[in-house]
Amino acid sequence: MTEPFPASSGDDATFDPTEFDATLTRRSFVRRNPLASAGITILALYILLAVFGPSFVADPLSTDPASAFQSPSADHWFGTDQFGRDVFARAVHSARLDLTIGVTVALAAMVIGSLIGLIAGYWGGWVDEVIMRITDVVLAFPGFVLALILVAVIGNSIPNVAVAVTVAYIPYFVRLTRAEVLSQREMEYVDGARLAGNPPWRTALRHVLPNSLESSLVQATLVAGWSILTVAGLAFLGVGIRPPTAEWGVMVAEGAPQIITGQWWTSLFPGGMIVLAVMAFHFIGDEFGGEGY
Amino acid sequence: MSLLELHSVHKIYGSGAGAVPAVRGVDLTLRSGETLGLVGESGCGKTTLGRVVVGLQPATSGTITFEGRPIEGEYGRRDIRRRIQMVFQHPAQSLNPRMRVATMLAEPLKLLTDVSNDAIDDRIASVLTLVGLGPEYAGRRSSELSGGQQQRVAIARALMSEPDVIVLDEPTSSLDQSVRSRIIALLRDIQQERGVAYLFISHDLSTVQRIADRVAVMYLGRVVELADTKTIFESPEHPYTKALLSAVPSMDLDARRTRVILEGETPSPSELPVGCSFQDRCPLVHDRCRREFPALLPTRPGHDVECFAVEPQPAVTE
Amino acid sequence: MLEVNDLTIGVEHSPLSLLREVSFTVEAGQIMGLVGESGSGKTMASLAIMGILPPGIEFREGSVAVDGRALVAADGVVRRTAEEMAMIFQHPRSALNPTMRVGRQISRVIRINQGVPAEEAQQRAVQMLAHVGIPGAQRVAKAYPHQLSGGMCQRVMIAMALSCRPKVLIADEATTALDVTIQAQIFDLIRDLVAETQAAVVFITHDLAAVAEMCDRVTVMYGGQVMETGDTRSVLTNPQHPYTRFLLDAIEREVDPRVEEKGVNFALSGCRFAHRCPYAFEACREFPPMVRVGDSHYASCFLHAEERSSSVTA
Repeated sequence: MTEPFPASSGDDATFDPTEFDATLTRRSFVRRNPLASAGITILALYILLAVFGPSFVADPLSTDPASAFQSPSADHWFGTDQFGRDVFARAVHSARLDLTIGVTVALAAMVIGSLIGLIAGYWGGWVDEVIMRITDVVLAFPGFVLALILVAVIGNSIPNVAVAVTVAYIPYFVRLTRAEVLSQREMEYVDGARLAGNPPWRTALRHVLPNSLESSLVQATLVAGWSILTVAGLAFLGVGIRPPTAEWGVMVAEGAPQIITGQWWTSLFPGGMIVLAVMAFHFIGDEFGGEGY
Repeated sequence: MSLLELHSVHKIYGSGAGAVPAVRGVDLTLRSGETLGLVGESGCGKTTLGRVVVGLQPATSGTITFEGRPIEGEYGRRDIRRRIQMVFQHPAQSLNPRMRVATMLAEPLKLLTDVSNDAIDDRIASVLTLVGLGPEYAGRRSSELSGGQQQRVAIARALMSEPDVIVLDEPTSSLDQSVRSRIIALLRDIQQERGVAYLFISHDLSTVQRIADRVAVMYLGRVVELADTKTIFESPEHPYTKALLSAVPSMDLDARRTRVILEGETPSPSELPVGCSFQDRCPLVHDRCRREFPALLPTRPGHDVECFAVEPQPAVTE
Repeated sequence: MLEVNDLTIGVEHSPLSLLREVSFTVEAGQIMGLVGESGSGKTMASLAIMGILPPGIEFREGSVAVDGRALVAADGVVRRTAEEMAMIFQHPRSALNPTMRVGRQISRVIRINQGVPAEEAQQRAVQMLAHVGIPGAQRVAKAYPHQLSGGMCQRVMIAMALSCRPKVLIADEATTALDVTIQAQIFDLIRDLVAETQAAVVFITHDLAAVAEMCDRVTVMYGGQVMETGDTRSVLTNPQHPYTRFLLDAIEREVDPRVEEKGVNFALSGCRFAHRCPYAFEACREFPPMVRVGDSHYASCFLHAEERSSSVTA
């Protein structure tokens, strides 16, 4: 029997009117997600800057006392600081460092946190009890304070700072993943996987985990922003990454005293870059995590 | 002959005062190659019983034998797991949304059988053809399929390990009538070709009538009537079965049947009365039903009923 | 009593139409079944009539009138009162407010719509609950929805819907979620109440057996298009549209293997069933007309249009 009519749409027999907005009306991604688009654009610029920028700018550590405290000009876009270092060069180098730390911390916290959350949610019982009590204790400290204590204990080299911030954010992922696993565990496909012969660990890793990561991925973009803020904050307080490393927090800390003497550029530009980076991550996370997703 | 036997199987959720008995002493036999329909309303324990049979949940007490040997606690074994499979109610939910059909179908082969890796693709293609989809569906994801196609994939997954028993838990309830009709036809064809036995769980009596050889009617965790399909639908004996059948809407415009409308609702399984659990809604209730527990006894060969009013021996003499 | 004419609704910013020229009438005291499978537009039709279309869905044209009064303004906004129309839903528990006692939910409806004092409204709420066959109505009125069974909640919904004596009642899969023995109770209740109040009922269901049991007339929908409409006996015993025949076959016989298992294509400008229909031919690329095939029995199909024109020419 030949078909007289070409069927143009798919053959999904179920129809859900709420799907229409996203799939069948031709509105562009940008129209539907204005904030996320802005965030992605800003982030793309940052990444370009972090990857290619450092090869085009001056050495962030070379000092030149003769040209200290020059205001922004064609030679020095962001001016120079008290040692005559080029603020733009330092800001570009910090972009590489801070973005790397932010993304690494978010990914590491997500991977570790999700696995712990999976174990707690899937096995339940006393395992869950123990994990969640520890998580509660850790969450009782604000992330920043916890990271500060950890850095004080383990020392403030760049890797140590990253580890401290990671530990501080792991509990968020534990909670999120556990909650999602608890609901996924009740789905029929999990029973189906068990009947197909999957042992418990394989069911958990291959079937439950991939379906429980959605909210963690959103959380990871937010955490990437927060951890940049935390790293900068620790440096500002003098307990994180140390001078003379080119790092936004370090730069703000060094430049802050000069605001009253009129050299606003030494702290304003790195500060602005922190704000913009954190905002970019938040725009993405908010839009995909909130309504309309 | 009898492939799977259940002897006084109980399943109780929780313990102490809040214990909920979902299944209360069920004896059933599933013969090889037959379809046993298990019908009842929500909360009667039919789904729980199905999950106990496939080993997704342990029975609280009682024995289950497969080919004569007890299999309680043995469900983890490959040779048992391979032979008793299940198809679930919600096709969209029973398939992993992030996996391709081929990956899902390969799992039972890799984990439960000794089929060599080279042969896996051929097996997948042949089973996909058997369920009426064709090998081109191997690369799809479940979200790209319609409800009927998803249920065909779920049936294919259950068939991969060549089981002898498939528990079908409301496999057509969430499908449109026309799709339902085709899935039933498919299940019948598969049974003829593979000789697999079905435990077909459903609340939909007209579907059960179309596919089952025998039917067990459950009420509040007990099988209250068991007979071949024709007997159940044409000459039911238990007052609950009668009421259930008369409540089903009929396409027959002329047969205004005498309706048995049940008063009230199913009581909560955690607060069951002494005696017959149907006593508060039963039109035939008498004193004995409130004192003693009836047992599932044959009224004729092959027709078991759990009711004092229809026992073969003289029922009420007072 | 209820007149729906050429009701067409679609998706905003898109050529897709979810309902196309849907027309039917329901007389007072009559129960009309609106049947179809998922995606048939039967629920969409009820939402459009009630004026509660979901966001992203727009009213395009058509009219809805109750007792001669048009409800739909030119802008698609439906202005109706609780005395004109009420609706009961498939999931009664989620349609009720979980944080409010059911008696109060009903009395609020009465108070707001009819301006009666609170105390009298409360009394009438209890009367309504008793009227829909709830034993111990006084006690149930003080219960919260989660304390009641699904069947009880549906009775509460019916009591609320009928509390203002609406002229039109829309029941959207009102018994689908209930057990058959409870469904039978609710069927009896609806039948009795309709006989008593002479409301016009649109009984939306996917179950043709329920239609046979409950309805005086039936309208079969597919893909937002009315396929066939008429007297229940006439449609069920002598279906004239290929789709109706296909649906009826699915119940007791095998379905026609030539009809492919395919979803609705909402972009088709011709007959929506054409891409599955074994009898489809060239003409079906156009929107089919409603053809009279019997006493108050109409089918939207070119097969009949052709028959008629050819018989006229012959």
